[in-house]
Amino acid sequence: MALERGASQGTALRIVAALVPLFCGLVFAFVANIPVSLASGQVPPPLLALVPVYFWCLVRPDLMSPAAAFAIGLMEDVLSGGPPGIWTLSFVLTYVLVARQRDSFASLSGLAAVVGFTSAAAFCCFIAWLTVGVLNWHLPPLSPIVGELVMTVLFYAPTAMLVGWLHHRLVGPLRSEI
Amino acid sequence: MPNAWKIARKSNAQLPLVIVIALAVVLVLLGKAQSGLFDQARVKVTDWLAPGLELVRAPVQGFDRWMGSIGEIFTVYEENLRLKEENARLRQWRNVAIVMQNRVGRYQNLLHAVPDPKLNAVLARVIGRASRPFLQTLILDAGTAHNANPGEAVVDARGMIGRVYLAGKRTSWVILLTDPNSRIPVTVAASVGDGGAVQAIMSGDNSPLPMLDLVSHTATLHAGDQVVSSGDGGLLPYGLPIGTVVPGNDGGWRVSLLADAASTQDVEILNYSEPPEPLPAEAELPAEAAGIHPGTVPPPPSAQKKVPAAGKPAAAAPAPPHAEASPPASAAQRAMASAARADGTE
Repeated sequence: MALERGASQGTALRIVAALVPLFCGLVFAFVANIPVSLASGQVPPPLLALVPVYFWCLVRPDLMSPAAAFAIGLMEDVLSGGPPGIWTLSFVLTYVLVARQRDSFASLSGLAAVVGFTSAAAFCCFIAWLTVGVLNWHLPPLSPIVGELVMTVLFYAPTAMLVGWLHHRLVGPLRSEI
Repeated sequence: MPNAWKIARKSNAQLPLVIVIALAVVLVLLGKAQSGLFDQARVKVTDWLAPGLELVRAPVQGFDRWMGSIGEIFTVYEENLRLKEENARLRQWRNVAIVMQNRVGRYQNLLHAVPDPKLNAVLARVIGRASRPFLQTLILDAGTAHNANPGEAVVDARGMIGRVYLAGKRTSWVILLTDPNSRIPVTVAASVGDGGAVQAIMSGDNSPLPMLDLVSHTATLHAGDQVVSSGDGGLLPYGLPIGTVVPGNDGGWRVSLLADAASTQDVEILNYSEPPEPLPAEAELPAEAAGIHPGTVPPPPSAQKKVPAAGKPAAAAPAPPHAEASPPASAAQRAMASAARADGTE
């Protein structure tokens, strides 16, 4: 009886832990899009939600599924106020890129890891920029999206450390059981 | 430490990937066609966030001011001198403006000019601002519950900032004049010579100086010309101060905005709707005023000579006089009224 109760608790914990990447992405999208700026709105907010997508797509692609990347992009779209669907498409296509080149990205470390993330973030921003251009029949100015990319890369290191800590504390211990 | 991450097994769910990409593309197209669904979700989230934003706003605003004041410490003396000089100059202009305002009022009375529509304003506080690659926006703490509606102009003490484009119950989103999606019909009043007003479209491109697209390519502008809203289309009131013309680096003309969306804290949402032009009374029509009654107007010669075409039904022939009596008479009135107006203008 106690064994069964323990097993059901373990299953529940595993389900909760499996939802951590998705939940983390949604929370990061929410935090990044709180419309309060310490720089009087002069600096674009970083794409914090891209960090969990990138991280768990490399480390645990079974937990960061395409559907989760879609949901996180959708959250970014709803909260950011831009043209609908832009970040959803960008996040999903970035997910595809990272998943296809997973071995290359995952083998990077140190500064090279930052460069790897920068290339993924640049691809994401380029897709968003291009999609807006196609929708409006003229390309938007490049400098704002470059500013967004720079901010995202600047925030990558601390965000990745936080995501890594969450992974080791909540998701990592369950790796062998899933 | 290379490859420090423990890599789990690959996700081999190829079918969901294709479906998700297709869904994302559909979402983009759906968002282009029906952005209302997203807008509703956004205003709901913002309404829900409003109390939290109010709480966060005060310390952030304090931090902003503190950061801004660091640089000002070193220039406060020069700034004070400059402001005193500017204040003295503005007092002179204020007196001139009061005299001119009285004079315009007298002329309007003499000419029986149509009075300017009255504007109702809703005072709102900025509770959020964001500069994103595809959207530059402010979030205000007034919504439909406070009579703030989409399309209305938002101004601060200096000039126009933007327009409300989404209104929730307690909050509203403002699209700034610098946003790439902003297009405002404006009038450029010449600052030198006696050149007339020039109509133009002011469009944002995410830079602090929106572009000016002239409606007439033969018009010439000068740096320092005043830019105000033209009121075309009836969405915005005429004459809202916007900025001054400055030359752009690309050879075109741009607008240096009077309002500063980055620092403003309290704004007004102008509740404006152009009143429909009242139809003139029957007795005020030029034909009636001249004593020409509709019944006495002879039918035009072409109508007298008109013969039904072969094969056409008799209904196409001119109607009998009794049938012509009322509706065509008003048509004749309109024709004579327009002729009289044309004479008047000549």
